[in-house]
Amino acid sequence: MIRLGLRLTLHSGREAFTRLLLTTVAVALGVAVLLGVFAEFHAFQADANRSCWECTQGAPVPKALGNSAPRALGSRGELWNYSVDYFEGRTIERLDVAALGPGAPVPPGVSRLPGPGQYVVSPALAALLRTVPAGELGDRFPGLLAGTIGDAALSSPDELAVYVGYQPAALAAVPGTQLVTAIGTAPGPEVFTPFFRYAFGVGVLAVLFPVLILIGTATRLAAARREERFAALRLAGATPRDISVIAAVDSVISALAGTILGIGVFLVARPWLAGAQLTGTRYFSLEVTPTVWGYLAMLVAVPAASAVASLLALRRVRISPLGVSRRTSPPPPSAWRLLTLGIGLVLFVVGLLATTKKSIGTPAYPGLLIVMIGLVIAGPWFTATVARWCAGVLGGPSPLLATRRLEDNPKAAFRAVRGLVLAVFLGTIAGSLIPTIDALSLTPSSAALSGVLLDTFSLPGPNGFGPGLTPQDGATLVSELRGLDGATVYPLYLLPQATDPNYQGQYVGVVSCSMLRDLAVLGRCAPGVQAVQADDSNLTYSDNPHYSTEAFVSPANPGYSGRLAALPLQAVLVRVNGPATLERVRTFLAGHARPQVSTAPGVDPTPPRTFGEAIAIRSSRATVFERLVYFAVALTILVAGCSLAVAIGGGLTDRKRPFTLLRVSGTPVRALYRVLLLEAVLPLAAATLVAAGLAYGMSVLAVTQMAPPGTPVPQLSHVYFVTMGAGLAIALIVIGVTLPLLNRMTGPDHVRFE
Amino acid sequence: MSSPLIWARGVVKSFGQTPALRGADVQVTAGEILAVMGPSGSGKSTLLHCLAGIFPPDEGEISFDGQRLDQMDETRRTELRRTAFGFVFQFGQLVPELTAADNVALPLLLGRVRRKAAYQAAGQWLARLGLEDKGDRRTGELSGGEAQRVAVARALAVGPRVLFADEPTGSLDSLTGEKVMDLLTGLAREQGVTMVLVTHDARVAAYADRQVVVRDGRVTALETSGTHGGLR
Repeated sequence: MIRLGLRLTLHSGREAFTRLLLTTVAVALGVAVLLGVFAEFHAFQADANRSCWECTQGAPVPKALGNSAPRALGSRGELWNYSVDYFEGRTIERLDVAALGPGAPVPPGVSRLPGPGQYVVSPALAALLRTVPAGELGDRFPGLLAGTIGDAALSSPDELAVYVGYQPAALAAVPGTQLVTAIGTAPGPEVFTPFFRYAFGVGVLAVLFPVLILIGTATRLAAARREERFAALRLAGATPRDISVIAAVDSVISALAGTILGIGVFLVARPWLAGAQLTGTRYFSLEVTPTVWGYLAMLVAVPAASAVASLLALRRVRISPLGVSRRTSPPPPSAWRLLTLGIGLVLFVVGLLATTKKSIGTPAYPGLLIVMIGLVIAGPWFTATVARWCAGVLGGPSPLLATRRLEDNPKAAFRAVRGLVLAVFLGTIAGSLIPTIDALSLTPSSAALSGVLLDTFSLPGPNGFGPGLTPQDGATLVSELRGLDGATVYPLYLLPQATDPNYQGQYVGVVSCSMLRDLAVLGRCAPGVQAVQADDSNLTYSDNPHYSTEAFVSPANPGYSGRLAALPLQAVLVRVNGPATLERVRTFLAGHARPQVSTAPGVDPTPPRTFGEAIAIRSSRATVFERLVYFAVALTILVAGCSLAVAIGGGLTDRKRPFTLLRVSGTPVRALYRVLLLEAVLPLAAATLVAAGLAYGMSVLAVTQMAPPGTPVPQLSHVYFVTMGAGLAIALIVIGVTLPLLNRMTGPDHVRFE
Repeated sequence: MSSPLIWARGVVKSFGQTPALRGADVQVTAGEILAVMGPSGSGKSTLLHCLAGIFPPDEGEISFDGQRLDQMDETRRTELRRTAFGFVFQFGQLVPELTAADNVALPLLLGRVRRKAAYQAAGQWLARLGLEDKGDRRTGELSGGEAQRVAVARALAVGPRVLFADEPTGSLDSLTGEKVMDLLTGLAREQGVTMVLVTHDARVAAYADRQVVVRDGRVTALETSGTHGGLR
């Protein structure tokens, strides 16, 4: 029977071959998309599980060892000082290291530690060093370039990393240096990994549904014609079991061919995928691949799933030797289907009502999830309702034909766009909330200071504030900074008493009123005052520009009449006139300002950066999430378009006879074109509009409840509309490709064979 | 004798290397019911398709009401089929998702008749064919005979001048076929509709005013009937 099934699948004429071809292509597309998602997830996981040499912890180096440090520390291990820096918005991972003996552990990516006066860099940093003037980058690293760091130390070919070699005595004197005897091999802490894992999970679900639907639709392509053939086989003596075997063979052949083709398509597209930076990081191309098990699972699971789908489809009809009879049409979906959606919405609203400034009300999360499930359950009801409404409003023969078919089986019509509903829902949530979240950081104050760099020298700790730079060192630094073209320097001083562990005063720093005249968003002094005491801790330590750029001086601040130059330097603000100046300032600070060290767990030094960069860093995670969701939306719309196209092709084959005879009876072919277009576009548009409208409404509710008063209503960005528009346009083009089939399949010539 | 409404002269039609008509001549006068008979593969359906403007002939001339069908383009022939002709086929001409009323109203809607008027007309035709209580049934819920009666109603609803019927009882039992033929020919005569009826069944052909036989692609025999004995 299997041989007969094979023969029927492969040698049953042009129509069967076309069906096989279409099914194969559709399955291939689905498989390629799934493999792409799995590959990207594999690369993400490989990166997350990479040994985190940056997380290495050692013991503190005893102070005041001076030149005796090497002897005092022995010959085991090495001195280790890890820090981060920025260049044009990109992070540079920097390790200053000094071997204490020949057995010093070597970090990944190199065969030996760089010697004193040498440094080794990642390939991406090496490329920058070749093109960027030394005063903007290269001068940050003392010594000579001695080699390249290998991939083992890096998470991406674009990663900027440098190991700088020192004499032990020199490095021991640098604040923050530790004694390390073993380099960390465990994966890094999962700060954002669960976030991205969740994002991937959502993305995979959003894409998986439509892809499975596409594969399922494709394998049931032209089911009615096939079922007629099965009836003929029953007449010839085939048992129902034989029919099941033949149907399964038919599905497995096309699914297997599609899977193999899909793997081929994926392998061709893999280099592009490796460079796509979907999560904001370009992964090593070797990691952008599913596992061997992933490939095997595809080769087994897709044909098996197709066989099951095919057998399930056979259960919906009764194939007897006398022909095919369909089981009675299912009753139309009732309004009860809205119940889950309603429950989800109520939970979401209850959660929002319980939301405080510190936390989101617990019911909001399950509410959101139940709304998504509710959308899927309510989808057929929406489809039938929209079809009924359109039938009443549009009139004419084409809407009649299209809407009656949609009403007849709204579940089938909605099936092709089910995944799209989830993707559009999530895309709209992301598209409306993320710009609002970003806008909260991008206040007028933070925008005014976007080109101003902050470098802090005194961090708060359990024993009061750190000492900052001595007045002499501070004065020298400020003077030299002012010598850089295009840089305007504003020093912030530290009240000496703030370094006292018992200090309870309100004010920490001292700022000059001339600085506030230039940087007016930070506040203003009372007239005639030269300098004021101020609590500038938000400015210097908060990593949220919404708060760090708030005004912190008012005319009520007490004046400071002492000599500013006699105060320790707490921080500097440097206004730069362009990117090159910014990097020159940063390079200068790297070589001349004493690096800060953490004074307590959670109080980590921030490398010199502008407030604009701080905003960009804060929004980058959200942007990546937004990009992932948009990518999923675009992909889903495309796949949904393919599903609809396949469904149209299948429906056309099933209705070949009545459509042909309608044309023979004088129905213009353009009227039938409109039927097919409406059958595809109505569920697509209805699903998109309902999901987008609901998600936008929920976003507005969330912003109204959670954002500070005065926050504007979320606006969807042009990226959102471009993504949606492009996705829908491509879907329509894919659908349009099927239309010529109508002309060919229902031409008057075919009446002869009917 | 009145001038023919439809005539064909020397019609040749082949499908690839296979000739279907080899020079067929036929004429149908207005209001006449003509039965085209012949064995399977003789070319009788092809002759009907050519007379109805579905296929342009390879050679020969076909005229309807003084207009040369063989010289018309497909768009014009499509319009003519929609406005002047009606069709009843053996089976499968009804759109399965539509109700009986929808199916009958469909050609009227295609002819830009207003929705309300189209459904009113559909209701009247269904009532005339004894299907007044079946208007909201899907075609899958109708018996074979009922479905054919819906097809007859649909064909006549547009007020065609010519009705082309290709084996209209081919999928029905004799009793049901007889009822359908009674209705079909009765209504055609009542409406003054000319009818070309293709059948291989002599009992069906007996409903016609005149019979021709197609053999080997030619209309080889002509005889007068008029018995209307039908399937009885």
